[in-house]
This record gives sequence, structure tokens and C-alpha cells, in this order.
Amino acid sequence: MVEEAAQEVFLKAFTQLDSYEGRGSMEGWLTRIATNTCLNILRSAKRRPELSVADLTEDESHWFDTNAGTAGDEQQTVEDKLVASDLADKLLDTLPAEDQVALLMMDGENASVKEVAEATGWSESKVKVRAFRARRKLRETMEKLLGPKAVGREGKVAQ
Amino acid sequence: MNQKHIIEILDNSPLPGLSPGDLELVKSHSNECESCARAYQAARLSTMIIGERVSSPIEPSPFFQTRVMAAWRERQALENVPAWSRLWRSSRALVSSMALTTAALGVLSFFAPAIPSAADETASTYSAEAVLMGQQSEDQMSYEQVLNTIYNDDDDDVR
Repeated sequence: MVEEAAQEVFLKAFTQLDSYEGRGSMEGWLTRIATNTCLNILRSAKRRPELSVADLTEDESHWFDTNAGTAGDEQQTVEDKLVASDLADKLLDTLPAEDQVALLMMDGENASVKEVAEATGWSESKVKVRAFRARRKLRETMEKLLGPKAVGREGKVAQ
Repeated sequence: MNQKHIIEILDNSPLPGLSPGDLELVKSHSNECESCARAYQAARLSTMIIGERVSSPIEPSPFFQTRVMAAWRERQALENVPAWSRLWRSSRALVSSMALTTAALGVLSFFAPAIPSAADETASTYSAEAVLMGQQSEDQMSYEQVLNTIYNDDDDDVR
């Protein structure tokens, strides 16, 4: 899916090269094409219904057991990173396309609200609302998946 | 500290983007409040998996460039074809089937033997007068008989 998106972005960029007027940066122009292409692909993809504990694989359950109630600064193994990445895919699939894009750009790539607004063509308030909704939904689903594991063994949050 | 306020802080911005003051506030409150501790853990794990998702490297297949260039050439070739030719290509099947149907109907209408319909046969057994008088042709009165009958009746009425 990622390769399909990348191919489509390159093809669009080749085809629309005439429309690039050189006003903004080439990077910004390409980012906008990439963002819109990804949004279209995500919109056409079927959304996953709510994620429950029963949907987790054994590795994912183990990942929760290992990471819940810790400070989070432990070294992650390559396998742990892969499990976390797959888990992120599953959780992101439950969100609307716009929320996924806002969350990945802001929380994943540390883009500012202004940068996301430029890349997507949305207003800054829309970006904020989308990111807020996405974070809240993700946190609520995560809380559900964590269950009683969320709080550390001593009943306190690890510092 | 209001529990809703802590959760709002968590949902409003990405966890690494929180100011040290806000982070300290969230942590200290979470040590006293279980539901906020749960929310904080969920937000921390969400940030963790999103980070892993974004940083996981995606290796394109070795044929990616070849595939993109092939798709690009294909698209260019399609664009170089004149518009009427593209129109013909897309509507060729429809036009052919329409022409075939018209030819078949033409052949049928010129060469098929005329079969009288049941309605024609019925109509031929009745004359217009028979229909008007409600009689069959065998019982039909001659024109003179009709006139005589009418005028005789009129004479009777006058008398």
C-alpha cells in the first residue's frame, strides 16, 4: 500500500509538473501532493471497527504487559518495535482518514499545526480539532486495551 | 486538580510537546488519581507506538523505480493519443453492438414473411356497416333495404 501511494505521488508529480509555478518550495508542493494522495487512499480503505483485547495477537498482549506501568525509557528490542508499529497500524485503522493524517504528522513527525495546515489545505483550527479527536480516540482505545494494567504495580505512575 | 483538566492537557498536544510544568502537573496528579494515571499511561503508550510507526523504515522493492517509470510511460502514451481515438476506444464495443442490432432489425423487416395478425383476420370478416348495425355480413341488408326501412318508418310517423 505504501509503495502504491509512493508510485501514485511520483506519477502525479510528473504529470502536474507544469502546474508548479515555483512560488513555494518544491518540498511543500510535493508534500501537498503526497498528503492528498494518502488521504484519498485512506478514505477509500475500509475502516476497522472498534479494537478490543480479543483482537490483539499474543505478541501485542505481551508488548502491553511489558510496557504498561513502566516509565517508558526502557530499550525496545527490534521485535518490540515491530509489534508496536503493527499495533499502531491497527489502532490508526479505527480512525477516520483525516484524523490519521493529522495525528501522524503532528505526533509522529512533530509537524506544527501550521505545517499540517499547509500540507493538507485545511484551516489551522480544523487541524487542531482533528488531532485532538484522534488523540482522544487513541487514548480511550488504549485505556480499554490496557485494562487494569494501566497503573503501575504500586498503584503509581512510573516517573 | 480537576481530572477533566488533566485529560484535556493530554489530548490537546502530543506528550513530548508538553511544557515541563504541564508534564510535572500531569505526573503529580496521576500519582493521586487512578483514572488520570490510566489516561497518562494510555497517552504515553499511544505516543510510543506512533513514534515507532513513523520511524519504522520502509524499504521499497528493487523494482520500484522500474515500475514507476513503466506506469509513467504508459500514462504518457495514453495522453499522446488523440481525443477522438480515445473516445473510439472507450465506446467501440457499444457502437459495434448498436450497429449490429440495427442491421439485424433491417434484415428482419425487409426479408421476413408478413404474417397477418389475429386482429387483421377479425377485421376482415366484418364490414363497416356490419359493425355499425351490429350484424354479421351474412345478415346484412342491402343499401336499398336500409333506405326503404328508414323512409317507411318516417312515413308512418308522419301519418
